[in-house]
Amino acid sequence: MELLYDRLAGRAFGLAYRILRDSHSAEDVVQEAFLCLWRDAHRLSSDRGSVTSLLMTMVHHKAVDLLRARRGRAADPLPLDTDGLAQQSTADVIEAVTNSLGRDAVRQALGSLPDEQRRPMLMAYFEGLTHVEIAEALGIPLGTVKSRLRLGLEKMRTALGFEPPA
Amino acid sequence: MNCEEIEELGGAYALWALPEVTLREVEAHLTSCPNHSRIAGLRAVAFGMALAAPERDPPPTLKARLMESIQRGAAREAEGEHRDVSARRRMVWAPRPLAPYALAAALAVAVAGLLAWNLALQTSDDSGKSATIVRTLTNGGSAGGRVLLLAEQGLAVITVDGLAPLPAEKAYQVWAISKGEPTGIGLFNASESGEASAVLRADLSRVEAIAITIEPATGSPQPTTAPVLSAEI
Repeated sequence: MELLYDRLAGRAFGLAYRILRDSHSAEDVVQEAFLCLWRDAHRLSSDRGSVTSLLMTMVHHKAVDLLRARRGRAADPLPLDTDGLAQQSTADVIEAVTNSLGRDAVRQALGSLPDEQRRPMLMAYFEGLTHVEIAEALGIPLGTVKSRLRLGLEKMRTALGFEPPA
Repeated sequence: MNCEEIEELGGAYALWALPEVTLREVEAHLTSCPNHSRIAGLRAVAFGMALAAPERDPPPTLKARLMESIQRGAAREAEGEHRDVSARRRMVWAPRPLAPYALAAALAVAVAGLLAWNLALQTSDDSGKSATIVRTLTNGGSAGGRVLLLAEQGLAVITVDGLAPLPAEKAYQVWAISKGEPTGIGLFNASESGEASAVLRADLSRVEAIAITIEPATGSPQPTTAPVLSAEI
């Protein structure tokens, strides 16, 4: 767990901080995520390597939950499928994918999107807004938000070389 | 919600931007409907968004705090084992509900992404020596799949479709065959829709073929049935 921490804490904390903009809460989220990981360690098959995707997903969802709770909503934290993830041996494929693609590729793909798609995506992922709230904040119809989120992700997929399954 | 409405919400769902009630509706639909593999793919892409956040070192006190919590948790669990383990665990760690579809399915589709990625790498590699091998798994029938071997990493990535889901006491076992000797390298089962993917660790340096047979759920030391799928490497 210590090795894992040394390897992943920077990424996890970076993500939590990006969402929460507050070091204390980000620390809490990261600690909680690592604790969940530790608790689930017996179910993760350690010899299969990566837990990065599980950890980062937990950090993201926990941070967003906290942000939403701060705004006075979603008292119940949303369920997170750590079980499904833990049992999926494919988790380390995500690791392989993200390692080979790397953060530069992700940033580049994100940067290549038109602002009208990137902006709602960032609002959703990093600011924890729901599609309804994004529509309100940007003053555009809900349907437009839905299609922009979807289109933005589709474009990113193409840019990253994740082709949809045939 | 019908399939079309679910697809419309796919982007918001993948980015975790649905209000709770809608989220639950979407997940309930996705759990029972095989028509939305594209959404699972979007989920994998959304995971990549996590990488867009700049890395940041947490304060050193966090590590100390975490290690202490872990030790406390371990001590409590150990103590609890003398009494009622399950009750104790529940006190220490609240059980959470499951949403089985969301991430698991995204991961499966990411395999397809990795295959595409590695194919691209392979074709751009002119050195003539590639550590990555992709082969088609066949049986001459409706089932099929692909196996991707990353010899250097000792990883075999298998994606199949058209295989019948097996009852709980059975599993598909994957064999790496070298010098005519099969070695079991992993087990998986197929989903209702007949799809499956698995990532297996194995020594693949001298593998000549990959085969998949139906075996008891715990696996067999040697294959006991004829392969349902196989590929020469």
